[in-house]
Amino acid sequence: MKTDQEKRDFLKKVLNGTIAGSLYLVMPMAALTMGTGDTPQDPKGPDISKLPEQVPGIRGKAYNILEQEFAFVVDITRCIGCGACCVADQQEYNVPEGNYRTWVERYVKGFSDQVYVDAPNGGLDGYQTPRSDIDEWIRDTFFVPKLCNMCKEAPCVQVCPVGATFTTPDGFVLVDHDRCVGCAYCIQACPYSVRYIHPETKTVDKCTWCYHRVRKGLLPACVEVCPTGARKFGSLKDKNSEVYKILKGPGVLTVLKPEMGTWPALYYKGARREVV
Amino acid sequence: MGLSYKMRLVAVVVVMGIAVAGGLFVKGLVKPASFGVYGHYRADAIEEETLIPIRHATNTSCYTCHPYEARIHKTGLHKTISCEFCHGPWADHVAGNKKIGTLPVKKNKEITTLCLRCHNTEIKARPHEVIKTVAMPEHLASQKVKLTHNCNQCHHVHAPLKYINRAKQITGLGEKKL
Repeated sequence: MKTDQEKRDFLKKVLNGTIAGSLYLVMPMAALTMGTGDTPQDPKGPDISKLPEQVPGIRGKAYNILEQEFAFVVDITRCIGCGACCVADQQEYNVPEGNYRTWVERYVKGFSDQVYVDAPNGGLDGYQTPRSDIDEWIRDTFFVPKLCNMCKEAPCVQVCPVGATFTTPDGFVLVDHDRCVGCAYCIQACPYSVRYIHPETKTVDKCTWCYHRVRKGLLPACVEVCPTGARKFGSLKDKNSEVYKILKGPGVLTVLKPEMGTWPALYYKGARREVV
Repeated sequence: MGLSYKMRLVAVVVVMGIAVAGGLFVKGLVKPASFGVYGHYRADAIEEETLIPIRHATNTSCYTCHPYEARIHKTGLHKTISCEFCHGPWADHVAGNKKIGTLPVKKNKEITTLCLRCHNTEIKARPHEVIKTVAMPEHLASQKVKLTHNCNQCHHVHAPLKYINRAKQITGLGEKKL
């Protein structure tokens, strides 16, 4: 027995040494680069300086990626299921048919506590007809917009074998399309099913909370078009932003699947416990 | 194999040294420049992500060239609706300060379908304190108009109560009794 224990200790030491050694090889160099001002103006795009500054504190100065934090709040009690967000998202990225970076689900809860969820075409065409296949009295029904949860402990980042998906220092989970090999491991890992393989690039694609817009001081496209204010986005470093006030305030906010330990930066207001 | 113990040790160290040096060399060749600046990924990918073209340019850009529609839209109940939801994205219309295409304007039955996307009472999931909804065709019947009417025959699409309020003003129907 004693020899077994010694062997085990020895093996542990060797393994630890190997792991430490390999870690040393991939450890980041301490060099930290900072953004050098506004991102370049796209000659074909809109003149950014003429657009309203929807996310204050970003334009006109060097973007310090280490000093930024954002949050997204979805207010279920205000969503009318018009699908404007889905249309805007599809148009902003020319998302191929059958794939959705964001979508709106319709929840119907019967008196038997049975929950029915549907999302015809992801809500892209809106909800024109009620569900006709439910044969019981309906207790509660509501819309739930879904998008990337921007987890602080993202499972998709942990499983990526090539470092193609990552959490940026300002809290966005993004995809490096040059490195992605399209293995789809992250699609399996994501508890919120927000990832898909882009049929043209054959790399993984997902909601980015419109990172390219945020870095120019604009709201994500879905937030921009939402007519009722059901989607809210803002900087947590800006004490006057709506999301800062909501997160600081006493209202009940929930996240999806908290038991997964993903720590999303996407919060839901008014979400019933059936929402997953 | 007449090497002494010391020489064998040296040989092992040399071989290991070559292996490590080779490994580092290969790593230097294959590792992208900005890999590992913030973590186990290519930091330049963050800046590349910001280069995606912006296709929705907010109502403000629409208002610069369409002041007539802007004036009506801003005052009506539909002021929170984005122009680009109904008409399509800015980038399909303008590029580099030049018009490159005409955005669609909904006609006839398309308008009714579009209106009912938000205003259909039948969809119970809608929080009715957030949006005013109507049942069709009961609404047409109760307003005593033909059942073939489209929404925009009474409601201005940009400011839905514009004509209705004006009509009430003229006829004095909507005024409160004193």
